[in-house]
Amino acid sequence: MAAPLYVTQSGRLWHAGLILLVTVGLPARGKTHVSRSLERYLRWLGVKTRCYSLGDYRRKVLGAAEKIPADYFEPGEKSEETKALRKRIKDGIENQVWDFFSSQGGQVVIYDANNCDKASRKDLLEKFEARGVHVIFLESVCDRREIIENNIRSVKLSSPDYKGWDPEAAVADYFKRIQVQANKYEEVTDDEGPFIKIINVGERIVIHRIEGYLQTRCCFFLMNIHNQPRTIYFARSGQSLIEHSYKADSDLSPAGWEYAERLKAAVMSRRKQVIEERREAGEEDLSETKLRIWTSSRRRAHHTAWPFVQSGYKVAQKPQMGEINPGVWDGLSTEEAKALYPDEWERFLSDPYAHRAPRAESYHDLSVRLEPIIFELERCQDDLLIIGHASVIRCLLAYLVGLPPNEVPAVEIARGDLVEVVPASYGVVSRAFHFWSGEGRGDESGANLYENFAEATVGKGVVDMTHVLPTGTTDYEEAAAAEERGEKEKAKGLTRRSESKEV
Amino acid sequence: MGADNGALSPGETRPFSVPGTPHFGAQTDMLKTLDESTKVIKQSQSNKMSGTQTPSVSGIGTLLDRPDYSEAKIVVAMVGLPARGKSYLSNRLLRYLRWLEYKVEVFNVGQLRRRKARDQVQAGEGPQDHSHTYFSSTNAEATALREQLATESLESLITWLKQGGNVGIHDATNSTRARRAKIQERIDREPGLQCIFLESWCDDPEIIASNVALKARSGDPDYKGMSKEEAERDFRKRIEQYESVYETITEPDISWCKILNVGRQVQINRIAGYLQSRIAFYLMNLHLKPRHIYLSRHGESMHNVGGMIGGDSPLSPQGEKYAAALPALVLENVGDHPLQVWTSTLQRTVATARNLPYPKKTWKSLDELDAGVCDGMTYEEIAEKYPEDYAARDENKFGYRYRGGESYQDVVVRLEPVIMELERQENIIIICHQAIIRCLYGYFMGLSQEELPYIKVPLHTLIKLTPMAYGCEEERFHVPIAAVDTHRPKPARRNTGDGAVAAPTEEKKSGAARDYFGDAAPTATSHVAVPTPDPADAKSPTSEEEDVERKTTTKISTEKARQNVLLQHAEEHGKKASEVTQEEAGISQADIARALHAQSMIGNRAPTHLIKYYDLPEETAENALCAPVAAASTKKYNRHKMYCPRDGCNSLILSTGTADWVVRESGMVRHPLIPKR
Repeated sequence: MAAPLYVTQSGRLWHAGLILLVTVGLPARGKTHVSRSLERYLRWLGVKTRCYSLGDYRRKVLGAAEKIPADYFEPGEKSEETKALRKRIKDGIENQVWDFFSSQGGQVVIYDANNCDKASRKDLLEKFEARGVHVIFLESVCDRREIIENNIRSVKLSSPDYKGWDPEAAVADYFKRIQVQANKYEEVTDDEGPFIKIINVGERIVIHRIEGYLQTRCCFFLMNIHNQPRTIYFARSGQSLIEHSYKADSDLSPAGWEYAERLKAAVMSRRKQVIEERREAGEEDLSETKLRIWTSSRRRAHHTAWPFVQSGYKVAQKPQMGEINPGVWDGLSTEEAKALYPDEWERFLSDPYAHRAPRAESYHDLSVRLEPIIFELERCQDDLLIIGHASVIRCLLAYLVGLPPNEVPAVEIARGDLVEVVPASYGVVSRAFHFWSGEGRGDESGANLYENFAEATVGKGVVDMTHVLPTGTTDYEEAAAAEERGEKEKAKGLTRRSESKEV
Repeated sequence: MGADNGALSPGETRPFSVPGTPHFGAQTDMLKTLDESTKVIKQSQSNKMSGTQTPSVSGIGTLLDRPDYSEAKIVVAMVGLPARGKSYLSNRLLRYLRWLEYKVEVFNVGQLRRRKARDQVQAGEGPQDHSHTYFSSTNAEATALREQLATESLESLITWLKQGGNVGIHDATNSTRARRAKIQERIDREPGLQCIFLESWCDDPEIIASNVALKARSGDPDYKGMSKEEAERDFRKRIEQYESVYETITEPDISWCKILNVGRQVQINRIAGYLQSRIAFYLMNLHLKPRHIYLSRHGESMHNVGGMIGGDSPLSPQGEKYAAALPALVLENVGDHPLQVWTSTLQRTVATARNLPYPKKTWKSLDELDAGVCDGMTYEEIAEKYPEDYAARDENKFGYRYRGGESYQDVVVRLEPVIMELERQENIIIICHQAIIRCLYGYFMGLSQEELPYIKVPLHTLIKLTPMAYGCEEERFHVPIAAVDTHRPKPARRNTGDGAVAAPTEEKKSGAARDYFGDAAPTATSHVAVPTPDPADAKSPTSEEEDVERKTTTKISTEKARQNVLLQHAEEHGKKASEVTQEEAGISQADIARALHAQSMIGNRAPTHLIKYYDLPEETAENALCAPVAAASTKKYNRHKMYCPRDGCNSLILSTGTADWVVRESGMVRHPLIPKR
């Protein structure tokens, strides 16, 4: 969905000018959750984005809570000293925002603060519109107590302000704090300018006068995010007969078929273990989330999901998820590519994210192609297993983890690891489980240079964002093998039964 | 084969990964060798997997099934006063979702009512009063009738969804909370069905006025025999009747999307599911500003000359001429309005666009359909090396995916983001490739998946699309620079004897005009009615006149064409059609023949879809700012001609030199750019 992003001479993208998203809302309305998600998405798109949090800035400038004058947060008339202090903080952060736009080549700023009254919003709008910045209000409204309480418990209680408090007392205190502000809170109205209003964490969204490319993308993104708990698994496809040819679209090798069986076993045993972990954590509702499986429409990926197809899982083939197209480099080894296209090779090495070899796709092209998948992935509320190619998993993981684009090509994703990603309040928790170490796990020969670029960049700042569980927890390789044996028995039983029927 | 099998056993190095192997194109026998050798592996492997079967791996492509949308069962219930653009939105949605291969139907309550009324009249029971009093909430009898109609329409929608439909659009006013609660309650009783209300809310008097005017003069049978003013007055009264009971949607617990003043503000509530959010996003991106979309293929490329598919070749000398001639043609059309230029990343489109003095963007997503292993081959080569695959592609060209490449279906998925962005743009010219233009064109024209891969998109032709309320208007400008013809028509279906004759598509066409009864207008010229040329005819030179003569044999069409010409004449002179006779108007038989020709081009969507053809004068090419170039190819160029873009028609439209006539909806008029001789 993304258009290709062009950097103009000013260093910004052609689609949009400068955008300031001003969050509006009482505390514990999920403003930070929304801001961070949006920041992550925009950065992944390649837009220079930064989130400025007024609270963080105040803490940095003024220090801890005890150094703040007593009337700082109180409503009503404030002392001259406090007024000056508040103005200093406000001007300070606004100067930082402007500095990001004017001298650091920034394009989007998310200004994370309460901005509860109309006057201060008008002030902000006028100040920045006058400088050619497009201001949009991003309001989070919530009228359901349980959502707010949930938010307080999961995020606010861990703040240093409530260290050593009894949780119930802390929640009550926080509600009191909100109440103070709620009395003077003014909702954003139609006459204030363009706005996006998110009601009850996305239950309802109002979009007013939003125009422009990045702006509408932000809207669509916000329409799709949710905060339901779920897990996303990633695994590479099995080894294929001709690993280094894109065009041949070859089938799995014998090792690949074995890998496919083991992958299914590993996923099943991991999911079982998750349930166990939840039981131990004292959770009552132990119902399993439905598992969906997505593969690319390349043969090797779809056939890796074959054991799942056999057991009745719904496997969706997504044509957008095909591996990165190597163009003229298809079928070449690293050595050959170097020899035949020395210039291209140099440029590729200097910028592996953005360089597009003749008729090939760059990682940027791939990211653009994958954007609809990102939206669908955000929208999906079930557990998800993505069986894909190294390049595709790299892009998707980079998005989920929040890596800058230039690190995408270096994400390590080995065949035989099951990567588990669990979205948490302001980010994700990711872990890798090793379940297979057969043939084709790595690619030392460098024959498949585009797909396995990470393996070819060993020692050049590989980003290791996953960690294999310490030994002793579960041996997934063993568990997978055991599970597979069990499945086989079952399968045999089934065949026998069907045979006897025929007789 | 035994040796190969051994080489591929686990633990051995892969036999094909040794350096020095070129890519696995279908030109060499390597691919066949590979498939032969792996058959054995698959066999032994599938034994191990307790008899499971995986799809076969061989050849140069596979036929894809329709995407599995069986989980999507959505009722889109429209909400809104009359003349608020409900039908416009539902029509756009229909076109968009059908293009993505969802099964979509609009169930229009108004159509049902008119159809019933018409049937009643035909049965001799006298006409029903459908003036504004019928729509009054105080008219108890009529209200009950309308309720019943809405329920009937909803029931047929639900039945259709259960029989395999994906998205049913319930096009009615649904203007009260009670009505909506009833719908929601009915759908909740059906497992698996989801309901989303879509309100079009509008208080911009300009938009309403233009909608009212459109309704009053567009031949709505409700206003048969009324003058425009009368009709407008009655229609406004009807709106008032609805307004008195109208309740805008605010219900917190149901799923809805409200669009205010065509996208100025959008509110969405409880949107669950990816498709629903996509629908909402799509509607958000629509705008009503007048604009034109220009589509053009790149100039003739060296690969075109050589008859090869795919590749990234430079322009041929003729293609360079087109690139030089394009700016003048574009400027003439666009004037001093702003214009965006989009090209693909391949050099032939970039080169074609390079002289255009407008901001340009290149999109990877606009690259030509990837022919995978067949990239760089000619059709003849493919047919020779893989005859079965070649034939398979014609069975289902839309769903045929080249090995290691793409199908039209894949291209549509890839272009979906482009469409979203395109909807937001104003004037734009897209210079890309045959398959890509077919897909974009198919979207704008609402063509089916069967028709789409055979749309004629000749080289050196600029297509100008103007989105209208109920479809697109089309004009084509043919630049008289000779180029090869790359169109490959669908071969005549072999009679396989197993009943594989193409079933007529059941899906209705969504043309540029409104359908008031919900069935194809019976008077429309059927495309099938035009006799296809005998093989015996083929050798005779098909000049324009003869081509037209041949078609005049279809009696019914001739009469229709005559009426159209008369109607146009009448309109031009401000008379009623019945007052004009053929003789007075000075309409010759040839005029009728031309009008008929226009219809045959338009096919069974007549009179909805209008294409205007401009065959530009030779000077356009001569005046082009390019140095004379020598013919580069030894291949014979086809004498450039214009053919009907619909497959199976093959009628010649105009050839160079006779280009001062333009085909319009109801006949041919003089080309505006060419002075009378």
